[in-house]
Amino acid sequence: MKLGLLELRRRPGQFGVAGGALAFLTLLLIFLGGLLDGLIGGSTGLLRAQSAELIVYSDDARASLVRSRLDPATIAAIGDVEGVSAVGGLGVAQVGARVLDADGQPRTDEVESVAVVGYELSATEVPDPPPVGEAYVDSSLGASVGDVVAIGPEQLEVEVVGAVDDTSYLLQPGVWVSPETYEQVLAAARPDLAMAPGVFQAALVRTADGVDPDVVAARVDDATGSTSTLTIDDAIAALPGVEDQEGTFGIVIGATFVVVGVVAALFFALITIERTGLYGVLKALGSSNLGVVASLVTQAVVVALVAFALGLGAILAASGVLAGAVPFDLSLERAVSTGVGLVIMSVVGSLLSARRVWRVDPASVIG
Amino acid sequence: MRLSLREIRRAKLRFGLLGGAVGLLVFLILFQQVLLGSLLESFTGALERQSADVVVYSEDARRSVAGSILSPEVVEAVGAVPGVAAAAPLGERTTTLSANGELVDGSVFGFVPGGPGEPTALVEGRLPASPGEAAASREDAADGFGLGATVTVEPGGAEVTVVGLTDRSRFSVSPTLWLTWEGYVEVVEAAEPDAPMVFPSLVAVATEAGEEPAAVAVDISAAVEGTDALTRSDAVAETPGVAEVRTSFLLILSLAYVVVGLVLAFFFLILTVQKSAALSLLRAVGIPMRELVTGLYLQVALVVGIGAVIGTGLVLLAAQGVGDALPLSIEPLEVAATLGLVVAVAGVGSLLALRRLLQVDPTDAVARPSLGGLA
Repeated sequence: MKLGLLELRRRPGQFGVAGGALAFLTLLLIFLGGLLDGLIGGSTGLLRAQSAELIVYSDDARASLVRSRLDPATIAAIGDVEGVSAVGGLGVAQVGARVLDADGQPRTDEVESVAVVGYELSATEVPDPPPVGEAYVDSSLGASVGDVVAIGPEQLEVEVVGAVDDTSYLLQPGVWVSPETYEQVLAAARPDLAMAPGVFQAALVRTADGVDPDVVAARVDDATGSTSTLTIDDAIAALPGVEDQEGTFGIVIGATFVVVGVVAALFFALITIERTGLYGVLKALGSSNLGVVASLVTQAVVVALVAFALGLGAILAASGVLAGAVPFDLSLERAVSTGVGLVIMSVVGSLLSARRVWRVDPASVIG
Repeated sequence: MRLSLREIRRAKLRFGLLGGAVGLLVFLILFQQVLLGSLLESFTGALERQSADVVVYSEDARRSVAGSILSPEVVEAVGAVPGVAAAAPLGERTTTLSANGELVDGSVFGFVPGGPGEPTALVEGRLPASPGEAAASREDAADGFGLGATVTVEPGGAEVTVVGLTDRSRFSVSPTLWLTWEGYVEVVEAAEPDAPMVFPSLVAVATEAGEEPAAVAVDISAAVEGTDALTRSDAVAETPGVAEVRTSFLLILSLAYVVVGLVLAFFFLILTVQKSAALSLLRAVGIPMRELVTGLYLQVALVVGIGAVIGTGLVLLAAQGVGDALPLSIEPLEVAATLGLVVAVAGVGSLLALRRLLQVDPTDAVARPSLGGLA
């Protein structure tokens, strides 16, 4: 093992090209993972922010907020179901908005797309609904407390009274308002989606302590006869594109990890062939097969770690630019899992050369 | 040349691993290329394959069809702008469709028959002429959207009969129905009983003969307050998400191409260095350099060829397994262009090995102690 490290220190150039290829593969893997996390995170923040266990849609909506409608009678019926401790309506309108400056003028010519969320139940990340004309705004919109946001073509103004994090919906920053403000926004900006007072797209349900949410979900659907109730996790998975994105990116990331293994296998196969004679000498001098293989594996781990550090460094350096161009979000978990995967695949690849090491005959050294 | 082929035969594992690595990388490149093309086509095909030269959004929609809503007065105002030959409402609604007894996500468009905004890629049947008729995306014909099928639009329960099929005219990666404007109004009224009226999402514009659509689009945006007019091709390119998808895939593909070049470079460089003694001997016994170079490139070509076969095979398999949500269309020309680029990258990647090969000196052979030299 020590010999493997010594060789790495004395002849690092020999490992340079393989390390470079693995560094680019690391870059590719982290970029793919960050892109997936950015896409999913930006689409699901509204649901992940909820403290409720369940969300109720109309049964023909296929778990889509846009297509779902629940009337006041249905929402009241949900509240009466055994095991439900609280219920509140939820509605989202995707509209354009402008952050105004102190003079009441738009800060930029650009109109931002936002998701105006009308809600009745507080969420983990969002307090109780603010008074009419005020809003909690997702920090990704770039508005601060005290700023005014003008929503829709009618420029309906709401004052920012708090900032919230990670509450986007379909990659649009959340603007959280009271049901009354939400109705005003719909009437002014999306009259095509206007709903009667008390009608919401969905309802959030908190379940009583100790009650299985799945059981409550079934009871809700039985009681109303016209709803489809999902746990928040299932609702996240049912958002348009989430499962497809995870599946497609999974194929690409999986294939890239296999490439890592094959590249490592190829490189160590080549250097093992080059050193067959030296391995014979080492074995003749008493080194064990395991010791020689351990040297190879050590080298694989070190090359993978250096490649990972290079790839990670490159992506961190570029992350500022990336975040502006694509929905890229690099999390610690993603970085760690990529690093672990890289090391595992490199070790697996290098172990393919173990058979050749085992076959080296120490007697061949003396002819 | 025979020698290089024999070398491959004797070192199956090494060349097999290289072929496998290149094959997987070719698969990654091809898969993402196909995915990008199919995704964009399925995302904006409806916008791309309709007859309007210019489409007009509400300014606040940020060029999102789903986010745009215009009043009938705007349609009239757009029609009065110089250079506009005809203006018609174009509606779009994301909805739930019931076909073959299954509920699926879908999009419904409403257009004025004979006016701008008509679908242009009808491949079977005819365009709808009255409410209750629809043209559906051909890609979904097998899932209950075939000619003669009845599809229910939810909520509201409005039923439409498929009388025509369009090609590559889906929207938002989902089954897409084209209805007459009256049919669309009926469907939306059934779904949104509380809405005061059905609003057009866009205005579809036909420009007068000889007018430049881009110039007319600028004039419309300037003349009609609260609108944002774009040519058809700009509308497709500016659809929210399209630029981000292109940038992301471009980065991923670029990295994959770099890795192909690097893997081939390090393999053939190491191999050439390891063989340098044997190569100098071959040079010393009179084998011309040209033959050694030919041997190197024969090996590169074989490895890339095997990789191309593996990669293409895997893409064909993956296309079956990706699911119904996004039908992947594999265009032979696109595959050929991608493989051509892989070959070019392989050529560049092997330059390091070529340089090392050209440095092989026949006199090195007589300097080797094992051959009686005095090194």
